[in-house]
Amino acid sequence: MQETTPAPRNPTVSEKLRRLIISQEGVLFLIMLASVLFLATRTDKFLTVDNLLQQGRFMTEIGLIAIPMTYIIITGGIDLSVGSILGLAAIVLGWTWQELGFPLELAIITAIISGTVAGFVNGLFIVRVGVPPLIMTLATLALYRGLAEGISEARSARGYPEWFFQLGQGEFLGIPTQLWLLIFAVIIFGIVLARTRLGRALYAIGNNETGARFSGLTVNRHLLFIYTFSGFMSAVAGYIFVSRVSTTRSDMGTGMELDVIAAVVLGGTSIFGGAGSVPGTIIGVVLIQLLKNGLVLAGVTSDATIVVIGSVLIFAILVNNFIQSRRGEG
Amino acid sequence: MRVAKSAPVPRRPIHYVGIILSLVIIGAYFTLPFVIQPERGPSTVAVLTESKKANELGLFKTGLELIPLAALGILLLGVWNVIAPAASRAISLLMSVAGLLVVVYYINFFRDTPLGPPNEWGEGSILGSLDIAFWIMLVAGILAVLQIAIPRALPDERYRITKLFGNQESVILFGLLFLIFIVGIANPRFLQERNISDILQGNAYIAVAALGMTMVIVTGNIDISVGSLVGLLAVISGRLVVAGAPSPIAWLIPLFIGAGIGGFIGFLVAYLRIPSIVVTLGMLSIIKGILIIWTAGERVTDMPADYHLSQMRPLGIPMPIIIMVLLTIVVVLWMRYSATGRAFYALGGNAEAARLSGLSQRRLLMTVFTLNGVFVGIASVMYSTQFQIIQVTPPPALELSIITASVVGGVSILGGTGTAIGSTLATLLLNFIRSAMIFINVSPFWLKAVQGLLILATVLADLIRRRRQRL
Amino acid sequence: MNKTLAITLILALFLALVVMPLSADGHERWDGSDELDVNPLECMGAEMMDDDGDMEEMDMPEYDGGMVAMGDSMAGMDIVVVDVPKLIGIGYFAATTLGQQQAAEELGNVSVSTDGPTDANIDDQIQIIDSYITQGVDGILFAANDPVAIAPVLRKALEAGIHVVGYDANSEPDAREWFVNQAEFNGIGKALIDSLVSQKGEDASFGIVTSTFTTPNQARWVSEMWAYADKCFPDLDWLETLEAQEDAGLSFQQAQTLINKYGEDLDGIIALTSVATPASADAVNQADVCEDVAVTGLGLPNAMRPYISSGCVQEVYLWNPVDLGYAAVYILRAVIDGEFQPGDSSVMAGRLGELMVVNGSEVLLGPPFAFTAENVDDFDF
Repeated sequence: MQETTPAPRNPTVSEKLRRLIISQEGVLFLIMLASVLFLATRTDKFLTVDNLLQQGRFMTEIGLIAIPMTYIIITGGIDLSVGSILGLAAIVLGWTWQELGFPLELAIITAIISGTVAGFVNGLFIVRVGVPPLIMTLATLALYRGLAEGISEARSARGYPEWFFQLGQGEFLGIPTQLWLLIFAVIIFGIVLARTRLGRALYAIGNNETGARFSGLTVNRHLLFIYTFSGFMSAVAGYIFVSRVSTTRSDMGTGMELDVIAAVVLGGTSIFGGAGSVPGTIIGVVLIQLLKNGLVLAGVTSDATIVVIGSVLIFAILVNNFIQSRRGEG
Repeated sequence: MRVAKSAPVPRRPIHYVGIILSLVIIGAYFTLPFVIQPERGPSTVAVLTESKKANELGLFKTGLELIPLAALGILLLGVWNVIAPAASRAISLLMSVAGLLVVVYYINFFRDTPLGPPNEWGEGSILGSLDIAFWIMLVAGILAVLQIAIPRALPDERYRITKLFGNQESVILFGLLFLIFIVGIANPRFLQERNISDILQGNAYIAVAALGMTMVIVTGNIDISVGSLVGLLAVISGRLVVAGAPSPIAWLIPLFIGAGIGGFIGFLVAYLRIPSIVVTLGMLSIIKGILIIWTAGERVTDMPADYHLSQMRPLGIPMPIIIMVLLTIVVVLWMRYSATGRAFYALGGNAEAARLSGLSQRRLLMTVFTLNGVFVGIASVMYSTQFQIIQVTPPPALELSIITASVVGGVSILGGTGTAIGSTLATLLLNFIRSAMIFINVSPFWLKAVQGLLILATVLADLIRRRRQRL
Repeated sequence: MNKTLAITLILALFLALVVMPLSADGHERWDGSDELDVNPLECMGAEMMDDDGDMEEMDMPEYDGGMVAMGDSMAGMDIVVVDVPKLIGIGYFAATTLGQQQAAEELGNVSVSTDGPTDANIDDQIQIIDSYITQGVDGILFAANDPVAIAPVLRKALEAGIHVVGYDANSEPDAREWFVNQAEFNGIGKALIDSLVSQKGEDASFGIVTSTFTTPNQARWVSEMWAYADKCFPDLDWLETLEAQEDAGLSFQQAQTLINKYGEDLDGIIALTSVATPASADAVNQADVCEDVAVTGLGLPNAMRPYISSGCVQEVYLWNPVDLGYAAVYILRAVIDGEFQPGDSSVMAGRLGELMVVNGSEVLLGPPFAFTAENVDDFDF
């Protein structure tokens, strides 16, 4: 509190810095920094370029899906079907390529289109028929997984040509290929959310949907777009996942929705809508991934790891709540 | 919303006649044959058939005539309620039909209409099949309960056939009956008493957990940790009894621990203001991790024989069904008539209004999560006492089944609406769907897809209903 | 406009609802094949062939396992081994862990720890193995959730000079050095079908309760069962295969569904997971149809003891999971010590004695073991 005494030497810079540090993302970033430093003291294998890049490879799918999930949660909705869409896209990819004899490029496009359509259907029912997002996506969570199972008939497609693995297992300029994709997506969609009319509209919808409607926003079109976007990103993540593990199975991505939501809410996005940011979400994704990896390297087994991650999730939000409320009072 | 808006109609004793009659009917159905031929046990179908074949039914000596008489009562009461201004017509109409079915069934039965095996309809009346009695009575019983549970139409509202779908509960009920009817025609074995009761029994614990979840969701919160918690409490219960604790203690301790953990969640939500989805996402992994660290996968075996609560059959009715029905009734009445129960709706509908009306929001949140913990405890005991061994891994994605049951049952995720009876009916519907798909030979690969579609269809049916009401 | 759209959507939905099950015609059988070859054994009773003799007569296939990158020889030195099963927290892998600890204790120069995903999740398993490669262990034992998906990370381990031995669930052969095969797929297929036929006759009709259609081991067992039954007992009536995850409650309900759906037409239930078998037995027991419905399958003796003792179940099959974990550690030690090399036809594994090499790079634990009322009390796992 003492720092807020009047007439600091350089008000703008220090004030900005302070605001950044005690913002949601700032606090989370400090927590992440603390965890990383702590883990680095426990094992020298953790803080190496190779290891960190490898973790970047592993978190790409979750990261990609977390971006549209942030958008959706900001509007006060939720999408539980992302894991199933990922599985569906993976199966469509393998099935069209192996059973229908599509060229692989076309199969990839078909898979991404089908994921996008799956997201579009979610959005259509949500905005046009008025099904609440949670209920709609709970239903399609089962439905899309079922479609994946039905289409695949429990067969897996494998034996892809070498070039197919470039995205999931290869490197580009020394960095895992898919990580580039994630970086670009974060930058572009981060800016879209923070700096464009679309982004502002999403916050407006989350804060007060009825008000947004009356103020002339095309709420339905925005909602339709973000659910479609979510399907698209899940399908892209599905393609990357298949490329990384070199096979397709209909149970791919099971339970992923909870991992994604955990990362998003850890990143400071309010589950009630109206607040959140892409950088925060990415810090959430990175924090969880680094904890998973770092704790194993430090000799903690994964049953204890999930206890730690669960606690960090609650703790981080708790600390953030505390700081934000103090800030509100100050 | 309807719950909050419609002024409750003053209740006269006549409203309770339905319940009494249905209790009589079900009681008679299960106990009387036991009286006639105790050595055969309370297996009604077999006993009745046998008695009938041997011409030893002894109608007036055994009191069996109570069933058709009570059914007649239900029929008349249903008809009266349809005519009366202040009754829920949809349910009353259904009730009359159910009563009629039971009466016709017994007329058939006593008139000696041939009772061909259930899958050979040609030989006898559809109602001649004894197995059918089981579910007709069940439906009659449920309907009679619904008579008082479901909010009435206001007296001045005009009678409309659309009122048949007056609320989500009746939509689901119709869905359930429709499903049973269609699948029953396609494969009559689906209607066997044993099958129906197996499905009810095996999923009763989900229904009980969904009751707690319903309360949580009504207040505008959610609990994702229930799946892991069921696993943890089940193992605690099993280990206690194996360690020598008496069975009742082993049944009760999980309730207290569940209440404790629920209370802790409630504390974090209410006093530290962390959104419930965050707290319970965290608790989900914490509890799961602890469970694995603690048990290392060692399943629990060698429980004493008297531990198996879920396998008991007082009066021939499986215990899980009794617990499920009783708890559903209790929760429905409690949420509808107690101050706290009504406050839950207020909290979910409009937290600000609830605060202004003098209710302590924090204490309410603590209460609802603690109660949810108790229900999870009950569910976990029902789960752990089902088999001779307790697997330490809880059913995968159990929390999703429970949440799905609650929201399909008409609980709005935004809080403020929904009833416990809807969540129980939805649990039944979802699991009947799963079983029914197997009975009508849906390709195994497409089972899950069809289930998803049917969930969607149920939700859409509800939306259509709302649209119509708005028009 | 809104209303028309809604109605169209709903109509489409119901159309799909009707068409989907029909288009699949409802009676497709799941044969689990997934385009892999099957290799049915000789029929029951057709001259009891000595399995070992049979093996030796065949040409020994070339070693097709992977090669570890050259590093310093660790022969005789203390080694750190990590075991990554499909998932942790279930009884079966608790038993393999027990066997590994026993072997480590006997050997004295191996320290083995178990860590794995908390759900049977392909990706979590890959990430955990990757982290252990980074951490720098000397050896990895694994039971794969998916044979293909796990291969890249295992190859990475081999390249890093880490010895890799699988058990229970295989990977692609070149992604690991050896695989401890608990019992050959065709052996399990034959044992289960024979067990059913001997209890209920050659025209028995039966249903199967499995984990999921995509679980590789279960799928291979079913495909070997099909192949063996087609060859030896074509009159067997395959009613239905139901999925039940690794979930006791669901397995129980699925078994009940089979009993209720087929009534007297059901002669047997074959359960393919150590969770489904006791649950199916419980269902048969509670429905009081022990006489009419034979339950057989894969089950652990501790879990099956109540049902076998009461006579409701005659026999179940399984290898000894404790021995499986035990053998895996011994084999990894032998590989690191250079005592077990590509081309060898057998390996010594402590108390288990000599184990034979089959299929190029697999070590066979032995034929599946039948647990019956006579011997079930002799085991504790």
